[in-house]
Amino acid sequence: MANLAVNIGGLKMKNPVTVGSGTFAYGQEYDRYFDISKLGAVTTKSLSLEPRAGNKPPRLVETPAGMLNAIGLQNVGIEAYLRDKAPFLREKGCTIIGNIYGKSPEDYAELAKRLDEAGAADAIEANLSCPNVHDARTARGCTLVAQVPELVQEYTRAIKAATKLPVFVKLTPNIIDIAEPALAAEEAGADGVALINTLLGIGINPETRKPILSNIVGGLSGPAIRPVAVKMVWDCAKVLKIPIIGMGGIGNASDAMQFILAGATGVAVGSCSFRQPDAAIKVVEGLNDYCERHNVENLTQLIGKLE
Amino acid sequence: MPQVSTCEIQAHMEVAPDHYRLVLHAPEIAQEACAGQFCMLEVQEGLYPFLRRPMCFERIYKDSISILYKVEGEGTRLMSRLSQGQTISVQGPLGKPFPLDSDVERHILVGGGIGIAPFPSLAEAIISELGTTPEVIIAARTESMLLCEDEFRQMGCTVHLATDDGSAGVKAFASEVLRELNPGPKARAYCCGPMPMMRATHDVCQDLGITCLASLEAEMACGDGVCLGCVVEANVEIEAERMVRVCYDGPVFDSSLINWSAY
Ligand SMILES: Cc1cc2nc3c(=O)[nH]c(=O)nc-3n(C[C@H](O)[C@H](O)[C@H](O)COP(=O)(O)OP(=O)(O)OC[C@H]3O[C@@H](n4cnc5c(N)ncnc54)[C@H](O)[C@@H]3O)c2cc1C
Ligand SMILES: Cc1cc2nc3c(=O)[nH]c(=O)nc-3n(C[C@H](O)[C@H](O)[C@H](O)COP(=O)(O)O)c2cc1C
Ligand code: FES
Repeated sequence: MANLAVNIGGLKMKNPVTVGSGTFAYGQEYDRYFDISKLGAVTTKSLSLEPRAGNKPPRLVETPAGMLNAIGLQNVGIEAYLRDKAPFLREKGCTIIGNIYGKSPEDYAELAKRLDEAGAADAIEANLSCPNVHDARTARGCTLVAQVPELVQEYTRAIKAATKLPVFVKLTPNIIDIAEPALAAEEAGADGVALINTLLGIGINPETRKPILSNIVGGLSGPAIRPVAVKMVWDCAKVLKIPIIGMGGIGNASDAMQFILAGATGVAVGSCSFRQPDAAIKVVEGLNDYCERHNVENLTQLIGKLE
Repeated sequence: MPQVSTCEIQAHMEVAPDHYRLVLHAPEIAQEACAGQFCMLEVQEGLYPFLRRPMCFERIYKDSISILYKVEGEGTRLMSRLSQGQTISVQGPLGKPFPLDSDVERHILVGGGIGIAPFPSLAEAIISELGTTPEVIIAARTESMLLCEDEFRQMGCTVHLATDDGSAGVKAFASEVLRELNPGPKARAYCCGPMPMMRATHDVCQDLGITCLASLEAEMACGDGVCLGCVVEANVEIEAERMVRVCYDGPVFDSSLINWSAY
């Protein structure tokens, strides 16, 4: 067995593999297919202070090698998470990355504090980049927090002040230079960045001449976005000191290796779980095989080792 | 527990224009599956199409399952090219089955078009578990699209046919045929088909004061409760949620729990 363990900004994981927020719910469903405690960490669906109903259906469009979604952050809310969902993950012995979403720095701080105090997360991932909710957009109109470096700093500081847990900032690819908000997060004290969230897209039904999604715009995910994601990880890795959790279309270990070689310390399996519910654990197994095949003792030796 | 297994195609035949029956050797899934549940089929290996396709169980045998499907778009078109002896990955059984209630005196199954697909297995379950024989309303656009008539007759069911163009049976909507049957207070309707047809059936059942169990459709990504892509709006909270998952909380719902105004 190769050593797959990583430390992501203070979060110790037995292997680098976690899951994309919103593609694994709170773990219970996929635990019926494999033992989810064998993952490096489980990342929760974005949690908000109050439960959210999300967008009206239709919420999905299939695309070549991927899909568009406009879920709109439907989630049970922090209280129900702490009461009904976290105990399951804790009993399983999972490492938990609590993904949070709010409307203000204060919301994020409050969410991080509550997860920390309840012992219901081992790290915080702040979703500053969901494209599917309109209330996340800032005073400048249609802007996401993660598109404005100053806002990234303000939000990151507020979260850091509220918790001692490692804080990761989740970034959007819908930007000219993703390294800017990544550097802003680092300066404000973030312990890591997670990227990428989904790319904006629209699906149109030519027969009805209408958009397919009720929200019109959705977020593109899946293997279709993988090269974009790998490039953005590479862009960030060149300038950051803090670690990166890379995601975007990872479905197997060689996909994951692309992210690690480009500079990611952790990797997340997202939409590919929908096709193959045990995809994430297969990535763990495949990374071990890769290391054995290449005589690599510690997988961390390969982080950023693009030749 | 649902599982993913690679299943051999035992038979695959066209049963009506653009409609096929696929019989899969799936012993573990068949053992657990109940009428009303469904599976997610991987149309082919590789990334196209990216998502699995939801399909309900037409019949559940000891070691195999059958799927009755209509060629709708790319995924089902590719599926129709698979041949006997090839394998296909099946995830299931998923979702909640039709509840079987022995207090019900008259079971009426209402299928519109390919919406008849879950009913042969349901009829079988009602016969074997409740010891009564259901009645079936088969509705379709035209005669050649009426599916499963022989199967239901072989099981001893009374069959009522309806077509939009009057080419077979009565020229009426399925919901109106149901009303004409004077179901009585101890009857229960089960319906599956296009959303407007199910809404009309729901309305008739409300008028008649009987329970209607509807098997809903929605676009699905995961098929197993994770992505929240397949929701419909409920009138009440189900497990504290207003937007309920067709794949996990359904696909079978008491129709009075669903907000039909959107359809
Ligand atoms: C629980 C459930 C059970 C079903 N059982 C059956 C069955 O037994 N027999 C049968 O013929 N059909 C059934 N369907 C509908 C079937 O899944 C769709 O017709 C099929 O997915 C169409 O795929 P396509 O690639 O041919 O169409 P496309 O239009 O090319 O598909 C594009 C995308 O839209 C989705 N989609 C398209 N139409 C539907 C639809 N009506 N419902 C849900 N998703 C859709 C597809 O899954 C795909 O992701 C069922 C649907 C659900 C939700
Ligand atoms: C259905 C769906 C729901 C998602 N929900 C969230 C969410 O709640 N919070 C979040 O930060 N990202 C969310 N994402 C984004 C994913 O976590 C991930 O960043 C993105 O999908 C790219 O990875 P992938 O291509 O492997 O899916 C969601 C993605 C999908 C497909
Ligand atoms: S299809 Fe994913 S929750 Fe229903």
